[in-house]
Amino acid sequence: MGKYIGKEFSRVDGVAKVTGAAPYAAEFHVPGTAHGYLVMSRIAKGTITKIDTAAAEKSPGVVRVFTHKNTPKFAHPEKYKSFKALQSPEIVFNAQPIAVVVAETFEEARAAANLVEATYRREDPSTDFFGRVEEAEQAPDSPFSGKSVQTTGDAEQAMSSAEITFEAEYTIPAEHHNPMEPHAAVAYWKNGKLKIFDKSQDVYTVRSNLAAALGVPEDDVHVVSPYVGGAFGCSIRTNYYPFLTAMMARELKRPVKLVYTRRQMFTGHGYRPFTHQKIQLGAKKTGELISIIHEAANNTSTVEKWNDSTTRFTRHIYACPNMKTIQRLVKTDLPTPCAMRAPGAVSGMFALESALDELSYKLDMDPLELRLKNYAEVDPANGKPYSTKALRECYRRGAEKFGWDKRQPIPRSMREGNELIGYGMSTGIWYAFQQPATVKVVLKADGTAQLTSATSDIGPGTYTVMTIIAAEYLGIAPEKISFGLGDTQMPKAPVQGGSWTTASVGSAVHGAAMKLKSRLLSLAQKDKDSPLQGLGPDEVVLLDGRLQNRKQTSNGVSIVGILKAEGMDSMTEVHKETPSKIREDYQLLAHGAQFVEVRVDEQLGMVRVSRAVEATACGKIMNPKTSHSQEMGGVVWGIGMALTEHTEVDDRFGRIMNPSLADYHVPCCADVRKVDTDFIEEDDRVVNPLGVKGMGELGMVGIPAAISNAVYHATGKRIRHLPMTPDKVLKA
Amino acid sequence: MRAYVPDFDITVPDRLDDALKMLAEKPGFYRPLAGGTDLMVVFNAGHQIYKNFLSLHKFQELHGIHVTDEEVEIRALATYTDLRYHPILKAEFPMLCQAAAESGAGAIQNRGTIGGNIGNGSPAADTPPALAAYGAEIDLISKDGVRSLPFRNFQTGYKQMDLRPEELIRGVRLKRKSGRLHSYRKVGTRKAQAISKVCFAATVRLESGKIVEAGIAYGSVAPTVGCCEKLEQKLVGLSLAEASKLDPMEVKKLAGESISPIDDIRSSGEYRLKVAKNLAADFVSNLENLNV
Repeated sequence: MGKYIGKEFSRVDGVAKVTGAAPYAAEFHVPGTAHGYLVMSRIAKGTITKIDTAAAEKSPGVVRVFTHKNTPKFAHPEKYKSFKALQSPEIVFNAQPIAVVVAETFEEARAAANLVEATYRREDPSTDFFGRVEEAEQAPDSPFSGKSVQTTGDAEQAMSSAEITFEAEYTIPAEHHNPMEPHAAVAYWKNGKLKIFDKSQDVYTVRSNLAAALGVPEDDVHVVSPYVGGAFGCSIRTNYYPFLTAMMARELKRPVKLVYTRRQMFTGHGYRPFTHQKIQLGAKKTGELISIIHEAANNTSTVEKWNDSTTRFTRHIYACPNMKTIQRLVKTDLPTPCAMRAPGAVSGMFALESALDELSYKLDMDPLELRLKNYAEVDPANGKPYSTKALRECYRRGAEKFGWDKRQPIPRSMREGNELIGYGMSTGIWYAFQQPATVKVVLKADGTAQLTSATSDIGPGTYTVMTIIAAEYLGIAPEKISFGLGDTQMPKAPVQGGSWTTASVGSAVHGAAMKLKSRLLSLAQKDKDSPLQGLGPDEVVLLDGRLQNRKQTSNGVSIVGILKAEGMDSMTEVHKETPSKIREDYQLLAHGAQFVEVRVDEQLGMVRVSRAVEATACGKIMNPKTSHSQEMGGVVWGIGMALTEHTEVDDRFGRIMNPSLADYHVPCCADVRKVDTDFIEEDDRVVNPLGVKGMGELGMVGIPAAISNAVYHATGKRIRHLPMTPDKVLKA
Repeated sequence: MRAYVPDFDITVPDRLDDALKMLAEKPGFYRPLAGGTDLMVVFNAGHQIYKNFLSLHKFQELHGIHVTDEEVEIRALATYTDLRYHPILKAEFPMLCQAAAESGAGAIQNRGTIGGNIGNGSPAADTPPALAAYGAEIDLISKDGVRSLPFRNFQTGYKQMDLRPEELIRGVRLKRKSGRLHSYRKVGTRKAQAISKVCFAATVRLESGKIVEAGIAYGSVAPTVGCCEKLEQKLVGLSLAEASKLDPMEVKKLAGESISPIDDIRSSGEYRLKVAKNLAADFVSNLENLNV
């Protein structure tokens, strides 16, 4: 543990958030702003033959009504492959935007939106993914998970010779992110340059996409997104609304604001796709896996091919010599899916970890013992050593805390009154990604430091952790440090996604601090009497506002003193950190073990997760407070995915039936009981200078499978189709 | 979110008498507005067909929970929060408190009223099954006076009720009697803030060791809040020990006869029927374990 790193810190932006001082995209007030309101299609597939805006245009306060007829075309449509609003009369999903009414007030725009009348040539939509899995085509390769078909050894041959085989199919419905903050943008133009306040996980990509669409240089687009009220992946893609907002502001020569309603959130960005999986396992009677075949299909749109990488971790988790994974797609008349927390991983591990649990009963073996029996000491797909892997310790600590040894092996053997009790466990896994990132540090002669990097903070505590890292390595108290993010006038950072922000931007902060330390040392050593004479950068440390001898801390000089001696008001360092070459020699993964207890009301079929223990190994823990929050959030989301979350589509119309928080059920506080999160810290010198791996996605990866396995243990009924709603539990 | 605020009018009379006159003069013209927690949802969705609202808030006659030796009178504007924490209701009519506690979140409970919960006419409302099980009387007020009828006869069909256009719901009355046992269970997708898949309210009253009154009502499983009259009759006259030994299959059969659940977005008819029967059988077989 350092002076700051590893200690509990409350969020540095917490007070601003709870007092309303932190502005979100829709809260940037620009004088003269006109308000847009979206009009959505009532069909899922076809063409607009006529669109009548006359009544809307005459409605009070209306400034203009934009449709595909009067909306400027993208300057470079080939540079943006996703859905583009109002660019053609073609309808490719239900509740697609067909017009935007812009008025002086939001209420006037909303009222006039009701008066826009569209006539369509309607075609029958096809949204029944599960009915069309047989038609699935091979997915394109993925930049993160590689080829859509991957093999190790000969999985089919090994399967046919296995002593024990198991095969089952699993399904997951579409699910939506449902962040509290609706997507929004406020845009205005000044001297031919655009400034846009947007809700984004990736301001630089918004900038390049807007520049390409609007036909202006990237430098003329300024994207600002300082606070994000949850995103979970749905603000990685540049969604259609910033394009519309910027375009309307340019056409109208005045600022325009556009905010999605909750209902519009269900088609205004992507979602976790419908997923069908088939798992085949081959094993020896003694439990050693000899073959895994994992076939997955997810739905995509007709606009682009979204590969959810469902099978991405199957070949990296168990010591199995023969493995095959296949990813397929089915085109549907729905919006394009997108990344949603732990994309692919939580879906794929739901199937794989459920199947492993099923195999354990077939083998009459404890599910945890089966996993330990197949524990991978090196990556089974490529033979690389893991940089660190404390999964065995996660299993041990989790099982101990949970009391796994009290599990009675036979299903339906634990009961209390009307409630059947079940224990289930699972394994979580995610990458230890790192991306290039740049940070600017201004060290000031007043003893403060300002850091900037155009990353995002969608809730994990990025402002806070960067402040902690800067404090640690600059030797300055956290309250004297400011960290700015979410602005394209700041140095480039990667999208906040993939659980790589601390590893990427945090390492850049560290790197910048190291450079500043060297520069300060050189300056200090200009003084022939300096107590630091003769020391190299590694022999000194920045601590408590001083540059001092690491071994003899009384020998040092103040940072402010060095700057003042040189007559400097500040010292600036812009540092780009890139992943080191050594990473390529290792398999870089974070792991976790999940144990849950469920109580199933036998008369109602209701499942309650009464206890969850999650032990996680993801390198170094920078801030235990926000880290535990992350993992608890993961458990809660896992409960939602397992038990309630389900975007329901009426296939007759291709229309989402439950686009509201009243009808799309995320867990409420009363659904979450005891959640115990724990970390097994790993000392990883390979992944990055800070030794951190990702944790945001990881926290939920194993939870749905663990709950499903516990439901089986409680009831003797295996539910392979999420969510495990009471009707399924009662019927099974 | 399509409703346009200026399209709507709200009238806020100072006196109940004036409001009743307005209702009589223009029957059906005004939609009474209490907490607004149902009306505003429809308004927000752009489906609000009523354009003229009549606010009830200033009428002291419609506020409060009044207790006498014989009865508890809950006036229409009592909120879920009022119900939830009322000491006499908690002691004697706990199913109403539980229903109030399980309706929506805190903000809704502070705004929503029992009159609105009844007047909205939803078969999925949570307080009506408890009112029906307790044998509540409902009082309706118009300029011609007060009309009372048993609450269980009030709903006549899906969102239909025996309420004339010139009438307002004044409140409900519950007879205070000792010896009641209660069981209220709401089955929703999650533990709170979910509209019921099935709602079950059951009570029996004992005198000299025998059941003398039984009230068993369901929500969300028929077009109206429904009572299991056959099962109620079956229980009357039995001791708890005798009742708890009734054949569960027979109990389930009697319970099933009074309801007609459908498939909808919240659940399947099959699930609802099975659970409704299970709840009745569980209530009857556990009668001896319920606390007076």
